[in-house]
Amino acid sequence: MRVICLIAMREYAENVKTKGFWIGILLLPVILISLFFVSERLATSTPTRHYILIDQSGLYAEAVQTAIRREHQRRVLLEFVRYLQDNRRDVNFELAPADSSAQIDQLIGDVDADEVAALDQWLDSGGLSFALAMSGASLRENAPAFVEPREQFIAAQLPAAIDANSSPEEIIEQLRPYLNGERRLDVDGQRVPLFAVILIPEDINQDIVRPGTITPPSSTAGIQYWASNLTDTRLSNAIQNSVNSSIRNNEYAARGIATSTVRDVQRTRLPVSRLDPKKEVGEESVSVADTFRQWAPVGFVYLMFVTLMQSVQYLLSNTIEEKANRIIEVLLASVTPSELMMGKLLGIGLSGITTIATWILSFMLFIQFYQSSETEMIGQILNVLLGSDLIPYFIFYYLAGYALYAGIFLAIGSLCNTLKEAQSLMMPMMMILIVPLVTMTFIARDPNGTVARVMSWIPLFTPFTMMNRAAAQPPMVDVVGTTIVLLASVALVLWLSGKVFRQGVLRTGQPPRLLELLRMLRG
Amino acid sequence: MQEQVLELQNVSKKYGSFTAVDNISLAIPKGSIYGFLGPNGAGKTTTIRMILDIIKPDSGTVTVLGSTSAAAVRHRIGYLPEEKGLYKKMKVWAIISYFASLKGLDRKAARARAFELLETYGLKDFADQKVESLSKGMGQKVQVLSAVAHKPELVILDEPFSGLDPVNQEVLEQLIQDLASNGQTVIFSTHIMQHAERLCDRLLLITKGQKIFDGTVEEACAILPRRVLIESANDISVLNQLQDVMSVQESVLPAGQDADRKLWEIFLHENANPQSILQKCFENGIVLTRFDYTQPSLHDVFVHLVSTDAKEHAFR
Repeated sequence: MRVICLIAMREYAENVKTKGFWIGILLLPVILISLFFVSERLATSTPTRHYILIDQSGLYAEAVQTAIRREHQRRVLLEFVRYLQDNRRDVNFELAPADSSAQIDQLIGDVDADEVAALDQWLDSGGLSFALAMSGASLRENAPAFVEPREQFIAAQLPAAIDANSSPEEIIEQLRPYLNGERRLDVDGQRVPLFAVILIPEDINQDIVRPGTITPPSSTAGIQYWASNLTDTRLSNAIQNSVNSSIRNNEYAARGIATSTVRDVQRTRLPVSRLDPKKEVGEESVSVADTFRQWAPVGFVYLMFVTLMQSVQYLLSNTIEEKANRIIEVLLASVTPSELMMGKLLGIGLSGITTIATWILSFMLFIQFYQSSETEMIGQILNVLLGSDLIPYFIFYYLAGYALYAGIFLAIGSLCNTLKEAQSLMMPMMMILIVPLVTMTFIARDPNGTVARVMSWIPLFTPFTMMNRAAAQPPMVDVVGTTIVLLASVALVLWLSGKVFRQGVLRTGQPPRLLELLRMLRG
Repeated sequence: MQEQVLELQNVSKKYGSFTAVDNISLAIPKGSIYGFLGPNGAGKTTTIRMILDIIKPDSGTVTVLGSTSAAAVRHRIGYLPEEKGLYKKMKVWAIISYFASLKGLDRKAARARAFELLETYGLKDFADQKVESLSKGMGQKVQVLSAVAHKPELVILDEPFSGLDPVNQEVLEQLIQDLASNGQTVIFSTHIMQHAERLCDRLLLITKGQKIFDGTVEEACAILPRRVLIESANDISVLNQLQDVMSVQESVLPAGQDADRKLWEIFLHENANPQSILQKCFENGIVLTRFDYTQPSLHDVFVHLVSTDAKEHAFR
C-alpha cells in the first residue's frame, strides 16, 4: 500500500507540475467565460445600418417607417425586459414557474402573439419612460440606470443623381454599386455603406395575396427589399410584419371589424401547466430548476467523457514513456506490476478529479465575482445540482467508468512502445467512447426507453448511460442490476489488464497479434 | 562454508524455440564482486531478469538472499538495467530519492541519502537539474546512484560501463569497490574484459545461454596455455623437444620488418617454467631478438572461448 501511494503521488505530482496540464484544464473555463462576455457584447454591438426607402405608391412609406421605429422600440423593450430581470428583487428560480412569469412574460407573450399590437401597447402606455417609472419599486437597490440602445437602422437620402420616379429596374440598376459596397453614401459628411433599399412600386396593391389567390407572385412581386447581407433579416421581417399589419387593418376595416376587437381576441390565452406526477401534492408544478435537474445528467455525461478522455491519455502516455525509457525494469525490480498499475490508476485518477474540481471551482469563482441574471441563474442551478442526488451518482459512475477504461488503456499502453503504435489499438476504444456522447441527448429525452435500458446493461456504456438516466428515476432493477454488472466488469477488466500489463510492460517490438493477446489474457 | 547471496540451480529460459538461458547453475558468496561475461545475446540480461524475478525461469530454481523469489527481498536488492532510462522531467535528487523510497526508505532519509550520494560522486551541482538536461553518461551515473541509494545487500548492474567515458568508468569502478568493501555483493555484466579483470573476484562466462566458465580470474586465465613469443633468425625447431613445450607455431611478423627473422608462438604446458626455453636457446646458440612471456589476458580467454560461437551468433 505504501508503494502504491508513492507511485500514485509521483504520477500525480508529475502531471500537476506540468504547464500543459493546467493549460488544458483552464482552457475550458477561459473559453466558456470569454464566450459569455463576447456574446453579451455582440448582442449590443451590431453596427448602425443605413437604408433608403422609395415609396412610389405613396401607400406604405409610413408603415415601413413605423416598422423601423418599432423595430427600435422592440429592442428597447427586450433590452428593458432583460434589464428588469437583471435588477429585479428576489429572483428565485426554484419558485419561478418554468414557462410563464408575471407581466414580463405577458409582455413577451404579447410580442410573440402580435408584435405590432404589443408594441402599440408599449408605446400607448408611454413606452420606456412609463415602464421605468412603473418598475422603480420592484428594482433592487443600487440598480444601475437603464441605458437605452441606440438606433440601428437610419434612413438615408437617395443620391441626388437618381430620380425617385424612374422605373424600379432603373433605380436598382443605379443603386447597385452602393448595395454591392463599391460606392458609399454621403450622410452628414460621412461616407457610409448602404445596407438596404426598400422599394415599393406604384402598383403595389395588385400584389396582395389573399386566400384563394392562385397566381404565384413573380420574384420581384410586392415590396422589394434589396440587401447583400442575407443573414441579418431583422429589417425585412419588421417591414413585412408592419406592412402586413397595415394591410390587415385595412382588410378589417373593409369587412367592418373593429381593430380593437381583433387585438383583444389575439390577446386571449389559456396557460398550460406542466406538472410532475413524482412530486408531492401541491408542489407538482415543474420549475426551472426541475427542468435543469432533468437535463443536468447530460452535462455530467459530458464532463465524465472529457475527464475520462484526458485521464486515459495521461495513463497511456505515462506508461509508454516508462516503457520507452526502460524505467519500467527498475520499477519492476522495486515494485510488483500490480502495485505499479494500482499506483498509476490512483495517481492519474486524482489528476482527473483535480480537473473536475478546478472546473467547478473556477465557475463558482466566476459566479461569485461576476454577477448578472445569467450567472445568478447558473449559480442557482449549481446549488440545485450540488444539493441533488445526482452528485453521488456522478461520483460513483465516474470512479467506476474511470477504473473500467483506465484498466483497458493501461493494458494497451503496456503493449506499445510508442504512442503511434498505441493509436491503432486505441481506435476501437475511441469509437466505443464516442457512442455515449452521441446518444447523450437522445437518452436524456427518453431516459427509460429501450435504447437507454439496453445500453445500460453494456458495461462499457453503463457509467455514461446510467448517469444519463439518473434524474429520471430508472427502475430499481436497472440501477441495482447494472451496478452489479458494472462492478463485476471493473473487477474483471482490472484483473485481466493486470495480466496483460505484467507481461506487456517488458515486451519490446511490435504490439501483439490477437492470438498472442489471448494467450496473455489466459497466462 | 561461506554464506551464499545468490544461488541458481539448473535455470533455463526459452523464448519460443530460442533458448536464451540453458541450464545455468551458479553460487555467489556474500561480499564478492561477480562478473557476468559473454558476447551480445549470450543470455546475461535474461539471467539477471530471472534473478530479479522480473521474468520466471521455465525450469530450475533461483535463491536470492535466502528467498526463492526476489520479490520478497527486493528491498535488499539494487538493480541497474541494461537499457538506461529515467523520468525526464524529474529533478536529479528527486529521482534518486523516489527510487530509494520505493525500496523502503522513508521520504526524509531517502532525500538525505540522495544528496549524500550526489556529493560523494561529484554530482552535487546537478542535484536540482532536470534529468533531461543531463548528458547520457551523467544520466547513467545518476541511475547507478539510484540503484544503490537504499544500501542494498545485493547490487546487480547490467552493463554499467557502457556509454561512460574513461574517467567516469574509473569513478564507477571505485563505486563498485566501495560497495564491496561495505560488505555489499555486486554482480555486474559487461563485455569489456579490463573491468572484469580489475574488479571481479569471480566471474561467469556464458555464451548462447550456456555456462562455459565459472571461477576466479586466475582460474580463467589458466584455461589458455601459457605462451612465449620469441623472435629469431635461427631455426628453433629444437625447442619442440622440450618437455614443457606443448606446441610451436610460426606467427606473422608485422610488415616491413627484417624478413630473415621470424616470430614464433610457443605454447607451454601447465606449470611449465619459461626459463627452460631461454636455457635451451642459449645452449643451441639461437639468437633471440625478442622474448615475451605474458600471462594470457581475460580478453584472450574470452575470445578463445566464445569467438567462433559469438561470430556465428552475431550474424545469424
